[in-house]
Amino acid sequence: MRRPSVIPSVSLAPRPRRSLATLGMTLLFAFPLLAQQPRIASDFEIAQMEKQLARSQSFEAQLSGRLNLGDLRAARSELSLARAEYGRAYELAERERLDARRDSSLSRYATATSYAGLAQAKLGRKGRAFELLEESARYASDDAESWNVYASAMRALGYPRKAASAARNAVALAKKPLDVAIYQHALATALLESGENDEAERLLVTVAESLRSSKFEALQREVARGESFEIYTSARGDVAAYVSLLNRAQLRLAALYEQRGDAERARTQYRRVLDARSDDASALAGLARLAATDAERERLYAEAFEANPFSMALIREYQHHVIPSVSEGPGREGLRDPALTGPSLTLGMTMRKAVVQLTRGDNRAARETLDALLVKFPENETLRTLRREAEQTRPASLPSPVPTENELRALLDSFERLTPEQRVALDRASFTSVATFANAQVANQQTVFESGTIAGVPFRFSEPMAFNGVFGVSARLTYRILGITRAGDADALLLEPLGVQP
Amino acid sequence: MKRLLLLLALAAPSFAQIVSATSHGAVVAHDGRIHLDRGWTADGVQNATAIVVGPDRVAVLDALNNEAVIADLTTGKTTRVRTAETPIAGAFVGRDLYILARDARLVERIDGPRFRVDPDPAFLREAGGRLYVYSRATGVIEEIGTKRRVTVAPFASDFEISGSTAYLAFPREARIRMVDLRTMKPRGAVTVGAVPVDLAFAGGGTALTARILAVADPSAKRVWLTETTQSTAQAIARGFLRGFLGLGLFGSRSSQFPTGVDRVAVRDKLWVAYDSSSGTLYRFTKSKSSVIAKGIAPQGFALTAGGVVYWKDGTLVAQERAR
Repeated sequence: MRRPSVIPSVSLAPRPRRSLATLGMTLLFAFPLLAQQPRIASDFEIAQMEKQLARSQSFEAQLSGRLNLGDLRAARSELSLARAEYGRAYELAERERLDARRDSSLSRYATATSYAGLAQAKLGRKGRAFELLEESARYASDDAESWNVYASAMRALGYPRKAASAARNAVALAKKPLDVAIYQHALATALLESGENDEAERLLVTVAESLRSSKFEALQREVARGESFEIYTSARGDVAAYVSLLNRAQLRLAALYEQRGDAERARTQYRRVLDARSDDASALAGLARLAATDAERERLYAEAFEANPFSMALIREYQHHVIPSVSEGPGREGLRDPALTGPSLTLGMTMRKAVVQLTRGDNRAARETLDALLVKFPENETLRTLRREAEQTRPASLPSPVPTENELRALLDSFERLTPEQRVALDRASFTSVATFANAQVANQQTVFESGTIAGVPFRFSEPMAFNGVFGVSARLTYRILGITRAGDADALLLEPLGVQP
Repeated sequence: MKRLLLLLALAAPSFAQIVSATSHGAVVAHDGRIHLDRGWTADGVQNATAIVVGPDRVAVLDALNNEAVIADLTTGKTTRVRTAETPIAGAFVGRDLYILARDARLVERIDGPRFRVDPDPAFLREAGGRLYVYSRATGVIEEIGTKRRVTVAPFASDFEISGSTAYLAFPREARIRMVDLRTMKPRGAVTVGAVPVDLAFAGGGTALTARILAVADPSAKRVWLTETTQSTAQAIARGFLRGFLGLGLFGSRSSQFPTGVDRVAVRDKLWVAYDSSSGTLYRFTKSKSSVIAKGIAPQGFALTAGGVVYWKDGTLVAQERAR
């Protein structure tokens, strides 16, 4: 185990020294890679942390549990839950500060103060965070891990240059190879956020190569033996720290390569991440962005959504990269979910369905999908955000005589908001579109149609209608719009046909 | 649960309120404003982290946003300036304002040159019109604008200057080290208490008396009064040589500082100590202490000619010296 000397009991003398390092916990990351990269599915980690909280009442176990839970919740966009965890971490640290002072244990006090500062930073309270971190530095300016915590707090507050400075102190003070790697990674992260990519890249290459080298052979064997894969932000023990650090260093390196257009190196790093953990959402999304075909991209995004359905970063990326570029085929997977309703419809698929609905302007359907998810995940900020987006309404307007897809979808979404005057105008208006009919039945030189789509927008008639002549599935339809109805599990326009032409 | 809530309430003093004593009265920086007691109010900085006091101006620093607002003490007229990364301290030398930007590792004169310093520069002090910076990572004191420097020891928690002597507190090794700034050479070190964190000058320093240091030691829960060493010449002139005397004011078992104190300030005969963990401010003498206020921010108090002032619940409170 890494740093086996956990908190000694009361120590009246300030020496021997005790630092964050001996707390048995290492802060690896200020917060998840949420902002840059979506995080992995974290149910397992959450369960582990909850077990840890129930099992051990020690300060370090409780603190790392709360911080990790906060970060894991934040990565899932459960922000109010995350804040509650950070608040509990702060309470723990404050209590420990007072206890340590009563016990005249100044190292304990410095450690607790440092983490109280971090918790305040995660809660966004800049002034108090700075005050606490400075207080800690008075006592522990010689402690590498204290500076690492300082750096993490500064990153959480959005001050990467201050974070880089603190991380440099940590690197300079570190002695053990794993500690050096951890703090170099922290420094690289802060440098990346400061726009100093060259030094960051050198550091990340050093860290990744070092971790994969024979220098860490013993740890690598231990990781393999224990089948360890969990990723934490506050790691307890060498194995957890090693696994998490390697994951993050490779991800950051991959993102850096990707950013500068070195796709092959980026792929290599992403694949290495997946070698260790096949459901890493960040790596899957990275490979999706680099995919050669739409089908491969869609498959990888689908896997990423299964890993972390609620990552807002992933959702935005999906909206940007996939949906506009795919008019039919794999990109429509979300819309084809009706065929998969029931137990086989996964959370990831449902989320993609909602995102596709939202992006395509099917706001009514998106609201329905999201409402169902919110029943199961009421605290989820991603769902709430998307739900608000689905609620945003534009003023209702009537389609043009030859309506576009967007016009029809807008009408579908805003039909109830049409003014009485618009209703009258709509009743009088006729429209012409190329319709794709479903289930055409031909008999006696007549073709019977009941439903179909216009530019992908579902429609149906009030009843099956027979048209003179034999028509293919695609025909020019002149129609009036009567209202909104349902086709399958989706909203559809209710049309009154006026005529069909080949 | 009730106890926990109480403790947390005590342990979480309001923050980003800084009080300093000036020749025109107390100045407080809070909530984005700068206020001279019984005087003007002006726009300040978002996160006040330090106040630099000069004869006729103050500068309020925002270490987070790399900004300073300089205010004229008479008129309240302000000037806003950008600084290098993380301005944590400053000093007026004549009309010039110098700022120590820790994460940029430099001292900058506003509208003037910049001076590179060692990593983790933590303290900037002025003495005799010269500026000195102590850097924690290397343990070096540098005289700004000259090449003079001396390596003492890294990781001091306080750095003060009296006359031509610099004093540094080293909590880990329980020592106060001294440096002669005229020669830029170490002048010895003495063991003080268990964890000496902060120091102030509590008298002495005349031709006949040695400097007396008040040293806050939160581990021992004491404030130590310690006579500093004198040069051999001074000692001979006085006819005897006095060493360090540890005058612990309160024992740890019966301490009147229950969680210890880690900051100490002295002005004339008024001595105060502060506990950062609970935000408690004490007045003390050689024989007793009393609580002045609780829930005070670490820089939320100052000693003035009239007594002690502190910021509490949105109000500047003055406690007269005579009380």
